Amino acid sequence: MTNSIAELENADCILVIGSNTTSSHPLVATRIFRAKEKGARLVIADPRKIQLALKADLHVRQNLGTDVALLNGIMQVILANGWHNQAFVDERTEGFDAFRKVTEDYPPERVAEITGVKADDIRTMAEWYAKAQAASIVYCMGITQHTTGVDNVKALANLAMLTGQIGREATGVNPLRGQNNVQGACDMGALPNVYTGYQAVNIPDIQNKFQAAWNAKLSDKIGLTIPGILSGLVEGSVKALYVVGENPMMSDPDVNHVEKALRSAEFLVVQDIFLTPTAELAHVVLPGASFAEKDGTFSNTERRVQRVRKAIEPVGDARADWEIMQEVSTRFGYPMNFRSPAEIMDEIARLTPSYGGITYDRLDGEGLCWPCPNKDHPGTKFLHSGRFTRGLGLFHAIEYKPPAETIDEEYPLWLTTGRVHVHYHTGTMTRNSPSLHAEMPEGYLEVNPEDARRLGVRRGDEVRVVSRRGHIVVKAMPTDRVEPGVLFMPFHFVESCANILTNPAHDPIAKIPEYKVCAVRLEKAA
Amino acid sequence: MNEKVKAKVKELLASGRIKGFWGLRTMQGNIGPFLFSSPDDLDELVVGDRERPGDTRYPLNKLLVNLARCYPEEVFGVLVRGCDERGLKTLYSWNQLNPEKVVPVGIACPQELAEACECLKPFPDEFVAGEKAEGSEFVSVANVESLSLESRLEHWLDQFAKCIKCYGCRDICPVCFCKECTLEKDDFIHTGDLPPENPIFHLTRAVHMAGRCIDCGLCNEACPADIPLRTLYKKVADIIDEEFHYRPGYGDPKEKSPLNILGEAPKH
Amino acid sequence: MDYRTVLTTCAYCGCGCGLYLEVLDGRVVNTIPCKTTPVNEGKLCVKGWNIHEFIHSPNRLTRPLIRKNGALTEASWEEALDYTAGRLWEIKEKHGSDSLAFLASAKVTNEENYLIQKFARAAVGTNNVDHCARL
Repeated sequence: MTNSIAELENADCILVIGSNTTSSHPLVATRIFRAKEKGARLVIADPRKIQLALKADLHVRQNLGTDVALLNGIMQVILANGWHNQAFVDERTEGFDAFRKVTEDYPPERVAEITGVKADDIRTMAEWYAKAQAASIVYCMGITQHTTGVDNVKALANLAMLTGQIGREATGVNPLRGQNNVQGACDMGALPNVYTGYQAVNIPDIQNKFQAAWNAKLSDKIGLTIPGILSGLVEGSVKALYVVGENPMMSDPDVNHVEKALRSAEFLVVQDIFLTPTAELAHVVLPGASFAEKDGTFSNTERRVQRVRKAIEPVGDARADWEIMQEVSTRFGYPMNFRSPAEIMDEIARLTPSYGGITYDRLDGEGLCWPCPNKDHPGTKFLHSGRFTRGLGLFHAIEYKPPAETIDEEYPLWLTTGRVHVHYHTGTMTRNSPSLHAEMPEGYLEVNPEDARRLGVRRGDEVRVVSRRGHIVVKAMPTDRVEPGVLFMPFHFVESCANILTNPAHDPIAKIPEYKVCAVRLEKAA
Repeated sequence: MNEKVKAKVKELLASGRIKGFWGLRTMQGNIGPFLFSSPDDLDELVVGDRERPGDTRYPLNKLLVNLARCYPEEVFGVLVRGCDERGLKTLYSWNQLNPEKVVPVGIACPQELAEACECLKPFPDEFVAGEKAEGSEFVSVANVESLSLESRLEHWLDQFAKCIKCYGCRDICPVCFCKECTLEKDDFIHTGDLPPENPIFHLTRAVHMAGRCIDCGLCNEACPADIPLRTLYKKVADIIDEEFHYRPGYGDPKEKSPLNILGEAPKH
Repeated sequence: MDYRTVLTTCAYCGCGCGLYLEVLDGRVVNTIPCKTTPVNEGKLCVKGWNIHEFIHSPNRLTRPLIRKNGALTEASWEEALDYTAGRLWEIKEKHGSDSLAFLASAKVTNEENYLIQKFARAAVGTNNVDHCARL
């Protein structure tokens, strides 16, 4: 997030796009409710009638995968009416002319045809957002999990820059990170192209700094992302895979392909707290410790580094993951001898400018939001005040592109996937929690009552959902949360695994798969 | 206020009268519930007035009940305000806690807090610190009642539509101790829906608060959707008082709730 | 009787809510939202309120497992660690550093992610490190 969670309640316009906030980030929804209570305008752009839509001043239901068109349409209206912030554009940005040229090709009437959103609603969204004193954009995987995920995010950045709704309190472009420590994993360099703090592996000065600190020869070749690793396993260029606390056998698209890849591994190590479907395929399974059994830190979606504290000893013979990693490394011939996570953080701070001032003794109380470059720095509440990270904010001229897979005669329905309020990701933790399991013991398929009637399907009937990748059987739930022609299902349930169906086609830059759109057909199960 | 409480707790611990004291403590820069078992720990004891009076209260009597179930022979001390004492009395009357095993250490709330809470009795029967403040009327209830019946329904439907079904109102509640909870029964309320069936979910809970709710307001503070639950339950308490002349926790703990219909087992 | 409240950070979504785990005699028995942590200020969602429930699940992995004759079989840490480090070393020697790949985790701590990528980069010599940021 460019801004912090609490600031949201002071916005006077909030655009929520592609985030089912009350289910997936409930404590962010708290702030949105508060802003609404204080009189803010709430605009929801989501194909589904999510809970927040019940409180919205305006809810538009764009066709799946048409976000760039919708956002360009909004910006076309802003430009045509002169509602943009010319001073901000002049002082803080570049690339405006090329952007303007492309955006002008998206008048509301054309956009209405692509997105299914009424032209007048597009005008209203433009006016409310542009004219607000402080407008915030909140988005989540509904924006990013597309073959045009990067384009979608750039379009949101364009919108914020065009109107100067960034770099101030209660404004900004605010992605909600899905996992408790996905921000931290990125910050720590668990990515193929960067070390900690987004320091590129192929910049010689940085490579030299880490070589000296780690006393090792380092590669400047950018590594493989998950899709690359999986195809490497199938092709045979990747022989061994070490998986810590992840479950690609459920979380990745086209699970049948993932299984083939994992079974091709000459050596598969899985370190986890439960025997996940991924662990079942492993050659070695190492029992890690849960968050309650070790010390450490997590970095939340607003870049706040907070303490995790050990409450109990690891269960059985399980061990903290940092201790396991040290043991493996030492036996591999590269000794690691940290005595505590606090010591590891000291090394992280030495090598990472944005974490430079972070030490355990400073994390009591409220934690610290990075960038926190030194011991006296109080942390950073919102980014891009006065200056963007790259200097001038860069406008991108972005054309709308349809999703990779579209409906046809054989697969006439759209399918989109997401989370529910009581479950989490692949269900490893929540489905082992009796209270959460009882609240929702099995998966379901949301289908519009009109489509359900046509198929003769009632609540609780089993249906077969078929895509080009595979098929699953699941219980139907007729509901107007989805529009005719659109289906939704949560992806937490291994028995009705949504990711057997989803399309592995991914964004060319971010490599993020298009979970949010694929084409399917629906049949009554026997 | 802290010093007087500390002195009292120190005396109770030193004399061996109590096994431990349920209070609040500043730990790692935050304030949380803590079971004090040694007089040496008392330096960081606080009563829960961080920025404003009573802004960091926790359901200490609920934590006490859970521990007393595991250690029924031990005597525990507990920090109580007026509402917490009402909670204890209600828990005694429902046989959830043995009064002989509990030593309350009372504090009286200041006028500011009494008014913010609209508390009828912002002090326990006995207290070691603070001054008796005036009880306060239920202004929030009167405000809702000034609306037309139709607007009142609209108001509550609108509030309940924000519910994210965290069950926090129940989980934080000192007098929610049922082993099975109607709110979780799919036969009554569809599980899995968000928001939960409106208004059935919240009205069911409101009905279950009748004859139970001691008006501590912790549910209100725990609600991620800022639903004014306390106002709703205050109204429920008013109705029970009008009909049965009973307010939980204000009278003798031996007095049973009029809704406590668990009598003797039927003879066969 | 050993009772403690331990302040920590929720391990579900990216909000990062502060909560106290109630620990009684070595078991985590309950969760209480922290009133003073900035994100949640005394509130939690249904997942947060129940986060203690999976910790002592009978389905937790408690011993290392090694596949022997096709089946995952309990093993000692010594054996599992030696075997893991040994096989990784053999594969690196035979096929080169880039024949190994690592999936770090959005569920484990910063410090653990740091060690995973440090192991991949410094010990093995590959940048094949990713995690589920995209999922």
